Amino acid sequence: MKLKFWGARGSVPAPGPETNRYGGNTSCVQLTLDDGTDIVLDAGTGIRNLGLTMQHDCTLQILLTHLHLDHIQGLMFFEPAFDPKTELNIWGPEAPEASLEDRIARYISSPLTPIEVRELPCELSFKDSPTTEWEIGSARVQAAAVTHRGPTLGYRITEGDLSVCYLPDHEPALGASLVDLPEEWISGFELAQGADVLIHDCQYSDEEYASHIGWGHSRLTDTLTFAHRAGVKRLVLFHHDPLHSDDFLDAFMGAAVEGWTALGGAPDRVELAVERRCIELSAATA
Amino acid sequence: MQRPLELILARNLLSSLSTPAFLVDRDGLIAFFNEAAGALLGKRYEEVGSMSAAEWGETFGPLTADGERIPFEDLPLTNVLRRGKSAHARLHIRNATGDSHEIEASALPIVAAEIPRGAIVFFWPVGEE
Ligand SMILES: [Zn+2]
Ligand SMILES: [Zn+2]
Repeated sequence: MKLKFWGARGSVPAPGPETNRYGGNTSCVQLTLDDGTDIVLDAGTGIRNLGLTMQHDCTLQILLTHLHLDHIQGLMFFEPAFDPKTELNIWGPEAPEASLEDRIARYISSPLTPIEVRELPCELSFKDSPTTEWEIGSARVQAAAVTHRGPTLGYRITEGDLSVCYLPDHEPALGASLVDLPEEWISGFELAQGADVLIHDCQYSDEEYASHIGWGHSRLTDTLTFAHRAGVKRLVLFHHDPLHSDDFLDAFMGAAVEGWTALGGAPDRVELAVERRCIELSAATA
Repeated sequence: MQRPLELILARNLLSSLSTPAFLVDRDGLIAFFNEAAGALLGKRYEEVGSMSAAEWGETFGPLTADGERIPFEDLPLTNVLRRGKSAHARLHIRNATGDSHEIEASALPIVAAEIPRGAIVFFWPVGEE
């Protein structure tokens, strides 16, 4: 299994000289399975660059966690979607008010975009992510509702003995103390438990979180506590705040390592997601 | 087993309220009660943990005005869980030291994606503001 980050920023793209190293594109992670299947996690602006590298005459799977703009904005600029040879399956959370396609069509429609969803040339299907495990290629996929704003899913993708958990927008500590809450009562716990890699929301520093409680994102301490309690082998901090410059994130990384080692974690098992960086996963390295 | 998100959020909400309340899962198990409810019952949730309706009944009631236990089948809450309707009732409960209190209780079903997940029950002692 191989992971590649195409966008690690949260909320809104943040291009510019001060964010060059960590990157300014919003949420998009490519997960390539050993059988060659590509699973794309979210379709933030990072998916545009991913699309430029992809073959078109194949079946692509996009798993959307939710429909906030920073997770779907790149769909309109995903080159394979404009090729009739591409088969594109988009999975996402169901909501009582409208189908996944209709909710996405609110963005891909006039006057916000020059074309409508139904005009995309690829062979397109929208599917509600099942509540029970299903298969994509050689992987098993699990989705579960997690604490954010509005219907939001987290995913766990397992291939063989390796598993990746993706929780880009998640505030499990809202109204709860992650230190002593029983596991069954922690949002997202089952998805993350024992994962080889956990990609988790870490939008705020502890200081910033005080004025952002209930916004649907995590502060550093809560992300570390969640990952530690879930017993993950490797933690990737994700969904960087658009206000956080590279210099800020360098210092944030220092604080993350300090907090992680204080919980008993190894310093090389926590990192910040960096755009275009790859993580190769094999049973030996996990 | 992971609890459904709606129950997790309900617990988080109840644990930050001073209104006595408890949470029931879809099988009728008392899944959580908050500190305010614990103060009335004379036990903290952490002390008793999750309880079946039968265990809860033996410990806390509810009871009729004559001190008779009300069977689970006859509880307004059972209706809430089975039929997805709200209920409001005046009942007696017994706290951990054996004292009986009259309470008013309101129960509301928690339904998400048209699937019943459980119920929230708010209650407060009669005669208190
Ligand atoms: Zn987001
Ligand atoms: Zn979001």
